[in-house]
Amino acid sequence: VSERDDPVDRGLEALAEPSPAAPMSDALRAELEGLRPVRPRSPRRQLGALLLLSLAYAAGLVGLFGFDGDLDGRTIGFAAAWVVGFAALTWLVVVPPPGQVMPRWRLAGSLAAGFAALSVAAGLAVGSGPVALDAGRVLDRGGPCLKLGLFTALVPIFIAALLVRGSLPVGRRWAAAALGAAGGSLGGLVLEMHCPIDDRLHMGLVHGGVVVAAAVLAAVIASFPAASTRRRA
Amino acid sequence: MAAELAELMGRYCDGDRAAFDQLYAQVAPRLFGYLARMAADRAAAEDLVQLTFLKVHRARGAYVRGADPVPWLFAIAHRTFLDEARRKKRSHVRLAREADGVPEEAAHITGVPVAEADDGGRPDPALARAALAALDDLPVSQREALILTKLSGKSIAEAAAITGATPGAIKLRVHRGYLALRKALGGGHP
Repeated sequence: VSERDDPVDRGLEALAEPSPAAPMSDALRAELEGLRPVRPRSPRRQLGALLLLSLAYAAGLVGLFGFDGDLDGRTIGFAAAWVVGFAALTWLVVVPPPGQVMPRWRLAGSLAAGFAALSVAAGLAVGSGPVALDAGRVLDRGGPCLKLGLFTALVPIFIAALLVRGSLPVGRRWAAAALGAAGGSLGGLVLEMHCPIDDRLHMGLVHGGVVVAAAVLAAVIASFPAASTRRRA
Repeated sequence: MAAELAELMGRYCDGDRAAFDQLYAQVAPRLFGYLARMAADRAAAEDLVQLTFLKVHRARGAYVRGADPVPWLFAIAHRTFLDEARRKKRSHVRLAREADGVPEEAAHITGVPVAEADDGGRPDPALARAALAALDDLPVSQREALILTKLSGKSIAEAAAITGATPGAIKLRVHRGYLALRKALGGGHP
């Protein structure tokens, strides 16, 4: 059977392209009245500004809440990992591939999941103390650290969400999760500098948990605008 | 084509109304073709095109100068269609399909005017109706994958970017949709 004889091909060919679309509606014309210039997004510039602002904000928080005074190799290594995680995830969500408008939200979301898992695992592996799960050890000072980490994450998430607004008609929740993980990573950086506790459960489940919690919360929050839009429509 | 549309989009962002009109003239028919097949309703598709351009207008600041705007515009159309479909489903309103669903004035799928197409004539209306009905019976994801790749001329990667699915998922949906269409159009089992 040749391709020409295939009933599906013939059926799809019969569905010829419709005639040109109708003229613009009155609502669209009204929107276009007094069309004003807007500055298109400049992703790399936005990324640079966001990274600088966020790191300055994190430094300010460390200054405000106090530095634990211990700058050993492990702290520096963790701090570098937090900064790299924050920058990489933010870059993926804010900067689209060359020639495209939509950022790489799927890759960003996938990497965010991996990074969140790695954050927890690294804390559990590198921290001190027994491995056995002890709720008391986790809860002890866990709350304040979790709050500080999430508070830190808020600002970069909020700014980045404003920057990419409109460029993600699809994949919003994935991108939000990646931005949440990025913000959580900045939170991890602040906790690394501020918190003196090096217990493995605290480092893994609380410091690493900030990344997980921020990613999940951001993804959940990102689904609300879509719902409200549907209600308005 | 992509460079020309990127230039028009850039000028539109700069406040050039004529550039928007040109962009609309070039893109609206393509969006309409996609949405008409998705909605299986001409009037609804026209409304969806207008809604899509309203959204584009409000989000034009998200455009990146020099980028190909088409995948982004199609993705906005995709989102608009899904939102409207969900809204109608919730309100339990189903729009009646047009009497025959076949446009009166049509171009051949290849882009050649129907009268000049190598098969020498208009598409068979009965076959078009059957194909439209078969498409309409497919799950939205399969219908969309077929329409984007077979009727709107998008690549698998472009269809994936527009719908938010993976390229593998798009291939699978096209394959399954093709099999279902073949069964519905009398081609039997592969």
